[in-house]
Amino acid sequence: MKTNRSIITRMSATISKVENLTGLYALLVVVVIVLGLVTLPSITYYDDQLYEKTLNPASTLHPYDRGGVPFGTTPVKSQYPENSPYAGYVTTYLTPFSQWLADTTHHMGTTIVAHPGGIIDEILYNTRGFDTVVETSILFVAFGIASYLFRRET
Amino acid sequence: MFNLPTTNIGGQELFVLEFGDIVAYFSPYTTALFVFALIFTALAIVSRPEKQMDIAFGGDAYYAKVVDPELMRFQRFMAIACGLATLGAMVTGDVFNFTLFASLVGITNIGIVAAYRNRHVLNAAFQYGIVAMLATVPLFGGAAIVVASTGTLSMWELFTGAVAVPLIAKAFLVLGVMGEGMAPFYVAKAEITRAQGAPFILMVHVSSLLLFLRVAEIVISM
Repeated sequence: MKTNRSIITRMSATISKVENLTGLYALLVVVVIVLGLVTLPSITYYDDQLYEKTLNPASTLHPYDRGGVPFGTTPVKSQYPENSPYAGYVTTYLTPFSQWLADTTHHMGTTIVAHPGGIIDEILYNTRGFDTVVETSILFVAFGIASYLFRRET
Repeated sequence: MFNLPTTNIGGQELFVLEFGDIVAYFSPYTTALFVFALIFTALAIVSRPEKQMDIAFGGDAYYAKVVDPELMRFQRFMAIACGLATLGAMVTGDVFNFTLFASLVGITNIGIVAAYRNRHVLNAAFQYGIVAMLATVPLFGGAAIVVASTGTLSMWELFTGAVAVPLIAKAFLVLGVMGEGMAPFYVAKAEITRAQGAPFILMVHVSSLLLFLRVAEIVISM
């Protein structure tokens, strides 16, 4: 029986093993990455980036220097400025709770939650705030799985 | 406020939800997928685990399998989380946001299958975990190539004819979703469908199917 097996039989026998699927997928990734390396020279970098980042090695804040003037106005680019009317305002960092705290008491300025962020926070919390929520959910779910597996008996 | 640039694939927009630069949209296509995911999330919330019987062949004897409440609760939590991630991935209007939701779906799928104690099921879950982790490289790499070559991530801009997305970015996106949505292969191979806690495993299939349908729409429209 083993001698004259067709190519389709042998292929399906290989794929039917769970352990081989990882290798198959890795092979696919390698093929596409090689294709990507071949076509890479034809891709040009678009200069007018929406979420731009400039590195200034001379700065003392080097990798974290995101530009902008402290306590001045910093222009923030966004795809749909009409959806982020408060971009660039320090008060846009307030969470609903700290907003409530600021509305009802005078102690908001003394708490640690009142710290203003840099330009990176502006992008993460204002124009792309939904991404931040999803990223934290990924971490939360991963932590949930790990803690369940660690804490169960046997 | 907006108009979907290509109406021939998803149809006309019905409703738009704005989260800053991330503008989720409901076209007839995405709404259909959203409602489908919503129904299965509701089913995962209300359904009870199967009580299974093993019949000893050739006799009258049968064993009733014990349902572990803790395992059931964890799987239900993961199934609901998977449903919510699928809901997000169906309607999001941003490429990076879509990749985030896709990897969230992958992680929750790992959670559903990793909770078992059977050795062969855990082996399959381990293999799937490797693929899902490997798949994040092309997935986020695709989004990175999109933003580098076009300067934007919003599907509203990318779907217009003026913006050309490189083919390799689309290939990376499809490859990444393939890896994250590979779970049904392992579920079928390890025969987890009829294992303990059966109804919640369906979410693995539903989420993978919907992810593939959605990435097809995105890649064709771009």
